[in-house]
Amino acid sequence: MIFGILEIFRNEPLLLFMITLGVACSIGGIPPILERKRRRGIENDLPAMLEALSDSLGAGLGLQQAMMAEAERNNGTLGKLLKETLDESHSSSFDSALANFATKSRSSQVQRVMHLMSTAIEQDAPLQDILANMSRDYERLNDLMNRRESDLMGRSILIIMFVSIGLPFLIAFIVGLFAPRADGFQLESFNSSFTLFFGAASLVAISVSGRMLGRMRSALWWAPLWMAVSMSIYHVGVYVIGG
Amino acid sequence: MRSLDESREVLYVIRTLDVLMGSGVGLEAAIHSISQGGYGIISKDFSNLMENINKGKPLEKELRSLLKKAETDGYKRVLNTMLNNVTQNTDIIETLRKQGERMEESRTESVKEYIEELGGVPETLLSIGMIGPIILSILGIAPQLMEDAEALFGPMDQGMIMSIVNVGLFLTLLGMAMIGLKAHTKDPGL
Repeated sequence: MIFGILEIFRNEPLLLFMITLGVACSIGGIPPILERKRRRGIENDLPAMLEALSDSLGAGLGLQQAMMAEAERNNGTLGKLLKETLDESHSSSFDSALANFATKSRSSQVQRVMHLMSTAIEQDAPLQDILANMSRDYERLNDLMNRRESDLMGRSILIIMFVSIGLPFLIAFIVGLFAPRADGFQLESFNSSFTLFFGAASLVAISVSGRMLGRMRSALWWAPLWMAVSMSIYHVGVYVIGG
Repeated sequence: MRSLDESREVLYVIRTLDVLMGSGVGLEAAIHSISQGGYGIISKDFSNLMENINKGKPLEKELRSLLKKAETDGYKRVLNTMLNNVTQNTDIIETLRKQGERMEESRTESVKEYIEELGGVPETLLSIGMIGPIILSILGIAPQLMEDAEALFGPMDQGMIMSIVNVGLFLTLLGMAMIGLKAHTKDPGL
């Protein structure tokens, strides 16, 4: 049976291509996941850092001193990054250190905060109030983002599992049971239509679930793998159940 | 896409305008600061506006034309506040603060709505995605399953049946994509 299953793949160049592409793309899909994890870690730490900076300014410290103290205190990714940037900034201005920190974080939230801080310093605006307000704003924003993630993650996994695994298995079961290959049913064009359908349905499922979580582009890296999985499940299912 | 970009950036633009103008910067200089970048589509709009102002066009006229271009309510309100400040010298900072608070509340509401509305998407997607292929798979194998029943149902052409199945599968896929489109169109723009 194992040789028989392997023989199916030999006769399906599209499926072989999808498997190869799927493996290659899934390797490409790992860096966006790691990068997102790092970025969200930084962004979730940001409100606490802004609040601490605001408190320190209220206690009479300068912004640079407050940031140095926060870099010492915070042992997360944000603190590490801040410490690294401040250490490197001895030969340059504090303003360029802020810009450097924003660039290194690769987070639009941090970039916006740093931009606003630079502007506030330039304009001599009340920094303590601004930092406290920003801390509140970004805390609410991150709460919303985290809530969206936790509430929709289960649904997005459900869509992928059902469309890419459940559906091809169910149809393979029906076809294998009612029209078994062993009984001489001719299903070449039927199978190729359904194989293409499952591939396309998996692509739709991945796109929808990625969009639900607000990261369609990075989710699409995994599309070829899921397409290959769903197409393979159908082919193998029809072969095994109908054999 | 424009409306999504606008709704994503407008709150940050309000906060920046609040900081800048609260510390004594004029409206034109604040617009110039935002036009330098960092606020997506709004930075581009403000950059075009600054270019036209530098060519000698009045700020009021430029704000009016931008108001026509804006798609979301929030962005339109901000532009309207700016316009009122230019024409009637209104207190822009206080208005912007109120708008920021209101916008934040509405963003929270829209995220909750988004999560609730997408609650039904998996079920609908799976209903269409399952029922369609099940019916079509049975239809596709029917000519071979019922070869002996030709006297009862008449001859069934496998080629014609497969064409119907293919069209059906395509429509199922289209239906799934249309349902999934809700996830994009209702996005609150976080």
